[in-house]
Amino acid sequence: MSAPPVVVIQETSKIYQQGEINVIALDRVSLTIRGGEFLSLMGPSGSGKSTLLHIVAGVDRPTSGECCVRGIDLKRLNESELADWRNQNVGFVFQAFNLIPVLTAYENVELPLLLTRLRGKARRTQVNTALELVGLADRRNHLPRQLSGGQEQRVAIARALVTDPPLMVADEPTGNLDSQSAHDVLTILQALSRSAGKTVILVTHDPKAAAFGTRTVHLEKGQLLN
Amino acid sequence: MALPLRYNLRNVIVRWRATIATILGVALVVAVYILVQSLAVGLEKSSRNTGDSRNVMIVRKGSTAESSSQITREQFQLLQYWPQIARDGRGQPIVSADVVVMVTLPRRESTAEAHVLIRGITPAGMKLRPQVSLVAGRWFVPGRREVVVSQRLAARIANFDVGAQFKTGSHTLTVVGWLDGARSAFDSEVWMDANEARSIYHRDNYSSILARVVNETAGAALASRIESDKRLPLRALPEVQYYSAQTMTAMPIRILGNFLATAMSIGAVFAAMNTLYASVGARTREIGTLRVLGYRRRSILSSFLVEGALLALVGGILGCILSLPMHGYSTGTISFESFSEVIFEFSLTPWLMAKGLIFAVAVGLVGSLLPALRAARLPPIVALNSV
Amino acid sequence: MTIASFITKNALRNKRRALLCVLSVAVSLFLLVTLQVALREVTLPPEDVGAALRVVVRNKISISSPLPARQRAVIERIPGVEAVSPFSFFGGKYRNEESMSFAQFAMDPKLLRKIFGEAKMPENQYAAFEADQTACILGKVTADKYRLKVGDRVPLTSTLYPCSIELKIAGIYEGTIDDRNLLFHHKYLDEAGGSPGWVAMWWVKVRSVEEMPRVTEAINRAFASSSAEVRAETERAFQLSFVAMWGNIKIMVHSICTVVVFTLVLVTASTMSMAIRERFRELAVLKALGYRRRELFAFILAESFGLAALGAIIGIGTAWTLFTHASIAKLTQGIFLTFEVTPRIIGQAALVAASLGIIASLAPSIAVARMSVVEGLKTLD
Repeated sequence: MSAPPVVVIQETSKIYQQGEINVIALDRVSLTIRGGEFLSLMGPSGSGKSTLLHIVAGVDRPTSGECCVRGIDLKRLNESELADWRNQNVGFVFQAFNLIPVLTAYENVELPLLLTRLRGKARRTQVNTALELVGLADRRNHLPRQLSGGQEQRVAIARALVTDPPLMVADEPTGNLDSQSAHDVLTILQALSRSAGKTVILVTHDPKAAAFGTRTVHLEKGQLLN
Repeated sequence: MALPLRYNLRNVIVRWRATIATILGVALVVAVYILVQSLAVGLEKSSRNTGDSRNVMIVRKGSTAESSSQITREQFQLLQYWPQIARDGRGQPIVSADVVVMVTLPRRESTAEAHVLIRGITPAGMKLRPQVSLVAGRWFVPGRREVVVSQRLAARIANFDVGAQFKTGSHTLTVVGWLDGARSAFDSEVWMDANEARSIYHRDNYSSILARVVNETAGAALASRIESDKRLPLRALPEVQYYSAQTMTAMPIRILGNFLATAMSIGAVFAAMNTLYASVGARTREIGTLRVLGYRRRSILSSFLVEGALLALVGGILGCILSLPMHGYSTGTISFESFSEVIFEFSLTPWLMAKGLIFAVAVGLVGSLLPALRAARLPPIVALNSV
Repeated sequence: MTIASFITKNALRNKRRALLCVLSVAVSLFLLVTLQVALREVTLPPEDVGAALRVVVRNKISISSPLPARQRAVIERIPGVEAVSPFSFFGGKYRNEESMSFAQFAMDPKLLRKIFGEAKMPENQYAAFEADQTACILGKVTADKYRLKVGDRVPLTSTLYPCSIELKIAGIYEGTIDDRNLLFHHKYLDEAGGSPGWVAMWWVKVRSVEEMPRVTEAINRAFASSSAEVRAETERAFQLSFVAMWGNIKIMVHSICTVVVFTLVLVTASTMSMAIRERFRELAVLKALGYRRRELFAFILAESFGLAALGAIIGIGTAWTLFTHASIAKLTQGIFLTFEVTPRIIGQAALVAASLGIIASLAPSIAVARMSVVEGLKTLD
């Protein structure tokens, strides 16, 4: 018995205009990702794996084709609706961490919650839970520059999961990390999919990282390889 | 949903050099605005401080200043005993016909000259102006060529020390005392005996009449009676009202203040704009990240607007503080009504400061609008691209 | 690629920043030039052409004390005096206006050309003015402001004399230093109920410049112990004594100008150093490539100087073009007349711009001197 599909991509293409030439980043890709799946998206640079991730996460829009996430066609959402949707449904982990340098670890994690109705104690609990989950409860008052790369990325994961989104996307989260830190980060992501039932999409070009996933998909020149 | 203020605050601190320059720029703009306007306010205040609500001033119709008004002896005789004018214990009407003469005198600190008003006044006239007090020396003796000068004027005009003598026309006058006008228009005057003044300046006519009226209704009755009397080409109005209308000189100062503020605020807007553009540029990835996290364009926009406004507000407060020491500093210029030296002081009112702060915030908002729009237009994808 | 084109490319890398920089310099210098020109005009009124030969005589007590009419004959007899005209300020309000908006003087029309000679007006208008006692002539600036033409009537209510008069415009003059005033017959003022037998001032035309001091002295002496002692002085001295009446306002405007300039310098300098600080990474790269500090300073200075110079050209140029070619008298409704941008003022503004260029490059230069290559390469823009 398999879980219901969370992400359904159909015939999705993305074409960039680069000067006078059109660059096809995604070429009629179709893909279904089920709940609780940990999908590793692999491929060489420029294969379109990041573009695909961006489309699923609602930060980029496809040129043609459909992308439904949890039954919602992202095309139908306007700019602000999409912003709200991202806040509630997607946890984003970046390669370069993208923590706000002037905010502490705690405040960085708290950032997405400021958009929710959550107040006071409930909000504190949630932030602390997220930080504990990534094992950084004792670093909550540190500024990003006082943390190591691995710790920064774990804070970023905490920030991604603090709203308890069903979908977690990570774009080369281990690209800037040493192997031990990378292992820690991937373990956390794996645990999230296994025990919390979150759908995780991991973009990577590292086969070792991809091995943490339940399924691996290869992209090349904008097309899925099977 | 708004971003927390401490986010702005800490960013402002990170870019402290540009921030300080912007704050200081706004502060100076606001200080110049407040100071110039406070001159105008001070001038108007000195006019408003003059006058007693029980008194009625009578001048020639059409004259704009006491020194250019003329009232003949016959006219004075005619109205002096009217019942609307109050009487003292001995049944004498409390009324004074003054003669106001403008004289040219050398300034104290330079070879330049100033026009000074000499008021020939009667004992009744002095009683009618109780706010004027003697602060040094003694009052003049009627029949002698003696004057009492305003203490504030004495700081600016040569030979105005108690005991000193000065020449006007072919006559020599002796300063026997200093008066204080309690920040009224009398701070710009020299007082002497009315008859003596009329004799040395060859004035057959008086300049103005000041009368105590029985009550407010009597004052209005006096005004309408003068208005309807064909023999009297005069105008009567409450003393307070007469002086509060003498504010023409404040106008060009206000215009100057507004011109400077406008021109300088353009510079300040540029400064704020630059600071915030730099801020947006440096925070591009952060802004993208916030957008990915689900913050709407509106939140980003308002966050930058608030940052600009707050920055300018701090500048505005600093500007108020910078201009505060000038409060009460006395100065003088030529009046556009009497063409004589008028003494007044910088007067910083709370309302003026509030206006300065509003002005500062406006500068901040205008300066931050374009950078804020730019920030809000950044697509979430920049979070991933720009490294 | 040359060094110059490298500097230009660098300066224009952030076009918006460069534009804001140049514009704020331009705005500041425009403001500076405007204030300086206005202050100069107020404190140093333009000198009239025949002024060197004119003496102004007023009551020693002050300008508001009148002079007896009988003095005219005495002055006329003084050797070296060519003509004497009464000259009284009427202080009239036009129609129902709240305050005086232009000056009116009563004088002797027969002596108009002899004493106040330089007005341009058709011959028949001169004749018409002389012939009709209720006539007046009006400066073009005021005539344009109120759309008045020859034949129109000008009702005036005096704030100084107890009378109202109505004058007929006989001519409209231009080409004097102050084309705002209205002139009319002194005789008419006397008859209309001014103060017959009294005048406010005498304006005297002297035959030659050499005779000026002697004539002035003679006039002063002539009434030395009379009931109306006079003060005679050259027109220029008379003008300047009026300027001195401004008192502290002049000093205050001066100090305000200083603050204004300081503010704008501060703001602009900070903008420019910010622009240069953005360029740290390139500067570090250059350092890595073997450029010496001296050369980096030259880069910074050239960029900062170039931006300031461009702003100066725009700001000063706009002010110069505007004030030279536009009719300032019309724009300001006759408050300012000449609004001349003198070479001295241009020089001052250019000097401010040059110092701005240097000051703005100081902070980044110091920072560059201290910067290590590795650190600079790490700097994100």
